[in-house]
Amino acid sequence: MTFEITKDWRRELILEEDGFDISAGLTAADPIFDSAVVVEGNDDDGLLALGRFINLMRRERGLSIPDLAEAADIDIGELLSIEKETSHVPEPRTVYMLAEVFNVSKRKLMGLSGLMHPKDVTYVEDAVRFAAQSESIEKLNSLEQEALNGFITVLSDNAKK
Amino acid sequence: MTDAQPSDIRAIELYDNSAQNFVEAECWHGIVDKNLADWEAEWMPELQRRLKLLNQKNIERRFWPQSRHWDWRAKLKDIEKRLANQSFALICNGMTQAMMTVDTTKRARIEGQQTQHLIYVDYIEAAPWNRGDIASDPPLYRGCGTELILAALELSILEGFKGRLGLHSLPQANRFYLNRCGMTDLGQDRTYENLRYFEMTPEQAQLFIGKGKGA
Repeated sequence: MTFEITKDWRRELILEEDGFDISAGLTAADPIFDSAVVVEGNDDDGLLALGRFINLMRRERGLSIPDLAEAADIDIGELLSIEKETSHVPEPRTVYMLAEVFNVSKRKLMGLSGLMHPKDVTYVEDAVRFAAQSESIEKLNSLEQEALNGFITVLSDNAKK
Repeated sequence: MTDAQPSDIRAIELYDNSAQNFVEAECWHGIVDKNLADWEAEWMPELQRRLKLLNQKNIERRFWPQSRHWDWRAKLKDIEKRLANQSFALICNGMTQAMMTVDTTKRARIEGQQTQHLIYVDYIEAAPWNRGDIASDPPLYRGCGTELILAALELSILEGFKGRLGLHSLPQANRFYLNRCGMTDLGQDRTYENLRYFEMTPEQAQLFIGKGKGA
């Protein structure tokens, strides 16, 4: 032991710990932060595209907002905010879980949400373009389906750069 | 990192809440396969059981344990070849009770100390049955946080960092680092999931280990 601590004081500290959680560290799953810089989200275009993408994917799968929140293990309120509020910066874990449910690149979805600075911004621009092309109507029409297909293509891990 | 034996084993105590007495325990320097097996075979099923309870009680997800997706095997694999990272585990009654990984390359953020190195706690977590926040059951053992912070403090002193520690606390644990450990709250870190960053100065380290309180 490199320092002296009395047994009584150590026991006192232990007894005082009752009822406290001690967890510390990033909550999002581990690997996605390895090589990208995590930044404050502030890209409204990217957030708009993210919200539109999530909305389209959810509707294509016939999922309600509570259904998707349940499937992704995320808060309903945050999912609603992602779809409806273009200024809402989502939690990294939420974006991670949505990317997992929809089987698209976690890194790219983080970039789209403004939570990371992507090295290649082309896909963000493409995603914004697809978002702009899609219209908000009750059911997916062929135009939306086309936009959604474009989304999926540019947000997949093996998309051409 | 996951060799059969830890590099050092130290005798410690934890408090058994049900028996209401202190019990013998060990602090292992180095998380090994046994700890990861405990995590997979014992922590995870218990965590799932408790999540089910929370769901049945309609408790909002934001109050669920925020570390519930952590993968300790992945964390250890990530650092196993990095000399700058070290790990610790607490064992009691033959079971892993808590784990921690630390990084020795980070520097302090407190004004006036930015050039000083510290021990940065990458991850720290207690077994689900030792947490009082996620189910109605009382924690099985008390003291996991105290003992792991003491282990980090000792490493800090050994490395010549004079007890300096830093960590990003999950919201549910802010109270522990602020009130029980006496660390300085440097506020939300927007580059780190908006988690609050806490730092312990050498003076605060001395208070924590009892010097200055006449203990």
